[in-house]
Amino acid sequence: MAELTSTKLNAESHLLLDQPLLRMPYELSRRNFKNAQRVIEHSSVNLTKELTTATKAASKTSSPDATLESLDTMISRMQTLKRKLEGLHEEEMRIHKSAKARLRHLQDLYEVRSLVDVKYDEWSRTRLSRLLVDYLLREGYSESAAHLAQSKGITNLVDVDAFVACNKIERSLREGMSTSLALEWCKEHGKELKKGGSMLEFELRLQQYIELVRQGHEAGMGGMDGIESDGMNGINIGGGGGEAKLVEARTHAKKYLSTSGDFELLGRAAGLLAYRPWDEVEPYASLYSPSRWTHLATLFLSTHHSLYSLPPRPLLHIALSAGLSALKTPACHSAYTSSSANASSSTTTVCPICSTELNELARNVPYAHHTKSIVENDPVVLPNGRIYGSERLKAFNKKVGTESGWVRDPVGGIHGDAWREGEVRKVYIM
Amino acid sequence: MDDLREQVELLESSAHLSTSINDVQKAIDLLTAARAKIAADPHAAPLTLAKLQDPFKKTLETAQKDLKPIYSGLNKYGKVLDKKFKDKPLPSAENDALSSHPSLINRAIAMHLLREGQFSVASTFVEEANRRPPHPEPTLNTPNPYLKESWEKDLAEGTFNSEKLQQQFAEMYHILHELRNERNLEPAIQWAKERSEILESRGSNLEFELCRLQFVCLFVEQREDNCRDDRPEGPLHAYHYALQELLGFSKRYMRDVQELMGAMAFWQNIEDSPYCRIFYNNSAWEEVAHSFNREFCSLLGLSADSPLFIAATAGAIALPYLLKMQSIMKEKRTEWTTQNELPVEIPLPTPYHFHSIFVCPVSKEQTTDANPPMMMPCGHVIAHESLEKLSKGARFKCPYCPNESHPREAKKVVL
Repeated sequence: MAELTSTKLNAESHLLLDQPLLRMPYELSRRNFKNAQRVIEHSSVNLTKELTTATKAASKTSSPDATLESLDTMISRMQTLKRKLEGLHEEEMRIHKSAKARLRHLQDLYEVRSLVDVKYDEWSRTRLSRLLVDYLLREGYSESAAHLAQSKGITNLVDVDAFVACNKIERSLREGMSTSLALEWCKEHGKELKKGGSMLEFELRLQQYIELVRQGHEAGMGGMDGIESDGMNGINIGGGGGEAKLVEARTHAKKYLSTSGDFELLGRAAGLLAYRPWDEVEPYASLYSPSRWTHLATLFLSTHHSLYSLPPRPLLHIALSAGLSALKTPACHSAYTSSSANASSSTTTVCPICSTELNELARNVPYAHHTKSIVENDPVVLPNGRIYGSERLKAFNKKVGTESGWVRDPVGGIHGDAWREGEVRKVYIM
Repeated sequence: MDDLREQVELLESSAHLSTSINDVQKAIDLLTAARAKIAADPHAAPLTLAKLQDPFKKTLETAQKDLKPIYSGLNKYGKVLDKKFKDKPLPSAENDALSSHPSLINRAIAMHLLREGQFSVASTFVEEANRRPPHPEPTLNTPNPYLKESWEKDLAEGTFNSEKLQQQFAEMYHILHELRNERNLEPAIQWAKERSEILESRGSNLEFELCRLQFVCLFVEQREDNCRDDRPEGPLHAYHYALQELLGFSKRYMRDVQELMGAMAFWQNIEDSPYCRIFYNNSAWEEVAHSFNREFCSLLGLSADSPLFIAATAGAIALPYLLKMQSIMKEKRTEWTTQNELPVEIPLPTPYHFHSIFVCPVSKEQTTDANPPMMMPCGHVIAHESLEKLSKGARFKCPYCPNESHPREAKKVVL
């Protein structure tokens, strides 16, 4: 009975891993639509205004050349708008196509009834390729990801472009130490970010402020070469353009930071004006620290992923940790060679957890819970304590050509220990 | 799934940007027409422009209005999606023990790609991964991954030599290709001969099976070429081959070799002979290829199917159970007390069972190295700890039969 229930495939609950697969094209469609809406609105307002001015101008001066010229610019602007829309339309259709391909792919699963069906195997292989591509993209290995998607023919099922764009911004923060790309992204997603109460833009602006202050202090330092006489007071904001930078920083803060309402943080930010990057006084030193860029990159990633309904960790991790535990047994990291699955005889297969690829990874996960013993039919025990299914023991001994009346232990191979058949005993596993 | 597809198709067929694009084109037409008019008659400029105002504005408004169906279509699409995944949360990463070992994951992926025969993807990946080594992230079980990094690095790099592995898998794919597509046994036989001893000690029939298939090929093949010929060219050929190669196997495979030789007598009508099943076995090639694949991987200490594939599939099967457990634990606010064992049983199909499992019938616990299974003289097996508790060091009765024994007499067994 247990057998029957364990091989039945419940497609509905099987889709747990696949929500992002459908969410992503939906989010992309919405983004695409919003872009279209924005460009149309923007152009409409501008162009109607322009037409009105042109009409007014025409009735006043009646210089036909000027009128024609302004009409020409309007026409070319409209054409740009059309080009933009056509681009967005193409993208729209591409997204729908991939959404349909994904739905078809998931639909396939509903047609498989059993977990031991060959079709399920095939489907699951495609899923693994998808999970691998997702993992590669998240880790920033976009070339490999694109290559794998191509060679497996699943480009419609993965979001290489979206992740490449995301990686580019992440890298510009982590390695390039530049906020411009990330700020641009914030502007594009302004509404949703505000709705979700995201701190990303504020943090980016704060970083800009920090950099301005840093530049100010450094320039100030350059201006004071050799005049190390400012003594106790610490700071002397001298020439060298340093002051100008600090003033710029203050205006920047007024414009972008003061609305946050977090006075404690604002106080600390103001303190930066008095403490220089090399003063090593907390809490200012940690604001100056380069590790803030890593923090920004991580913050950007988590903001991006939650906006696009992507889980924070790669799906491969989620699938693998569950799978490793479900498969792991106490025998997988045991000091004794398992009788039932080992590499030393051809009558058994190597267990995937014992295989080199996963063995170390599985060391830290819990093993599966079982309430019943699972052993081969008709188990017998050899004098050395090893238990085998009698069928398999017989098959092995036939294959290695053991003399009749004798039984050899498969773990030892052809030169393994051998006993008289009479010494093999039945064993009772309850 | 169907309602989702319906929504997408609706968007694709009717609610898309092309209507708005047409509106924009209309506006452009209006502008160009006006321009032409003004160019022809400069004095009409103020009038033409004034007349243009209203229609132009309206066309652009239509362009905006035409976006509405897309908007509502997308909204519906979103609602259907929400409904579909209402009771299916995005899997959380609470028990993620893997983020702290990215180099091990990378190695597993590289090996997976190689064993799948994706050599060029694998080499792109290895190159990219070396260029940008992964950053381990702390997780619950390994809060500080960097501490362990050195052994892990050694391990990941020490045993993982992608070029060597790639060469080996390239050889495997070459041989498999020859077997499956070219029906050429030579490379496989060559490979098996070189490993004859080790294959034999594993109790593998592979070498003999390959040679037998070769014999069958020789026997059958030429017969078809010149079937009018009276001279039994094919069988003769096969006979010579048997003298050369098969006699070496006669100790281990006496019966099989005798069978093959016996078939010689039926060279004229092998189809009607009792040996027909050896000579006309369509699945023989696939069987040989399969067992070659298994032996090849086993000799490398690897399982025959990709462990990554099996683990990910098992994971997908297990996930619903694990998530349910998580939500129950959250509801009841209980903690999971057995750190090294999952709290729920996950019913995996039989092909996903590899090791035998022994659950002590007394304590209901799985046996481990520290608490191994013990067999009493009567042949019943219980866990070591149960044995100690039951016997308290003195003679005791087996819980499953009337037999009495001393715990000293119990013997450790390995499943």
